[in-house]
Amino acid sequence: MEFKEVIGRRRSIRFFDPDRPVEREKIQKMLEAARLASCAVNAQWARAVVAFRKDLTDDQFSRLKTPVAALNVDLAPVHIHWFNDLSVVKKIKGSRLKELVDVGALAPTHGWSHKFVDEFVYPQILEPMTEGPGYPIASTFDVGGAMTQALLTGVDEGLGVCLVTLNGAVLKEVFNVPEEWIPLSTILVGYPAESWDGGGQRPRPPFEELYHEGAYGTPFRRDAAVTEELKVAKMIQEPAKPHDPKRIAEIRRLAEQYGLPM
Amino acid sequence: MNENEPHTLIDLKPLLEYDSVRTWMDGLRQHWGGDPETEDLERLPIFEAFCRQVGRDPDQIVKETTMIKNGQRRIRIQGRNRYAALIEEWQDTVEGSRFRKAKWGNTVRSFLIHNGVLLQSGIQT
Repeated sequence: MEFKEVIGRRRSIRFFDPDRPVEREKIQKMLEAARLASCAVNAQWARAVVAFRKDLTDDQFSRLKTPVAALNVDLAPVHIHWFNDLSVVKKIKGSRLKELVDVGALAPTHGWSHKFVDEFVYPQILEPMTEGPGYPIASTFDVGGAMTQALLTGVDEGLGVCLVTLNGAVLKEVFNVPEEWIPLSTILVGYPAESWDGGGQRPRPPFEELYHEGAYGTPFRRDAAVTEELKVAKMIQEPAKPHDPKRIAEIRRLAEQYGLPM
Repeated sequence: MNENEPHTLIDLKPLLEYDSVRTWMDGLRQHWGGDPETEDLERLPIFEAFCRQVGRDPDQIVKETTMIKNGQRRIRIQGRNRYAALIEEWQDTVEGSRFRKAKWGNTVRSFLIHNGVLLQSGIQT
């Protein structure tokens, strides 16, 4: 699938086919994509635990099936639980920055050297940063980027994906993760039981309301020719319509199929 | 109320006189269309059976699963967990197919959901 179409086709799929297993190699591809995401100081805070639902013990499964998540974990054959490993910066102490210098990603042309990393970046910026209140937030931003690449790769592989938040304390216990890992979101993965377009592209605020040019208050000018080009490339697709009879009928069918409340 | 408390006889008004039941019907109508009061004639009797089983009227059930804190309506986590378990237990006692059991349990879940109490049950069929 072309890149723009992958973005255009992504939906938060909430009805998975629970009986159709997901190929392990497709999950690996999602994780490979996450590993390649852009990341500040190349720290790589993102960690994940992949749970194939069929391999969960009864105890694990019942603890994950809370009243707010029971259907999510029941329907999706694979759950990828994401965490932020806050301990990583103090462990690597700038060594990954020096790797970037060595491979020419950070060069003297931009002021970078091993000495700068050793004497300034790590002791004066990174280490103090890990003590600050903004550290978990800033680092989680980068984990989000990695998760997004995994999501899009799942779509490219023909899978349905959905980002949800489960009970973090339960996740830490059930999967026995290190104390310093912060639980974030979970990507549910499976083949969609609903139509891939899920009733259409989800509503978004107007483009001009979100993006500015030059300074705040001047909306970035949206060129109609560009949006037309993106429609042809299937990045911009038919928007979902409120109370669409076709979508309502589909949800009714799925509710009856899986015995869900309406 | 707890699970061990004996069920009490309860006087119920016609269900449609309860605010929470009207909220439920409005939610069904708004989301699914049609007339929820007449299109499934089992819906209200099933829900009434649950109310009698737990000895609570519909508005009390909502009160036990929600609360007002700092002027905002919130979900009582323990109350929701308790009702989630009660619904499961109750639907297990229903005679008939798994589909029928699911219908009874989901009727009560639907009541809570349309009263703003998010509740998932897992696959029921």
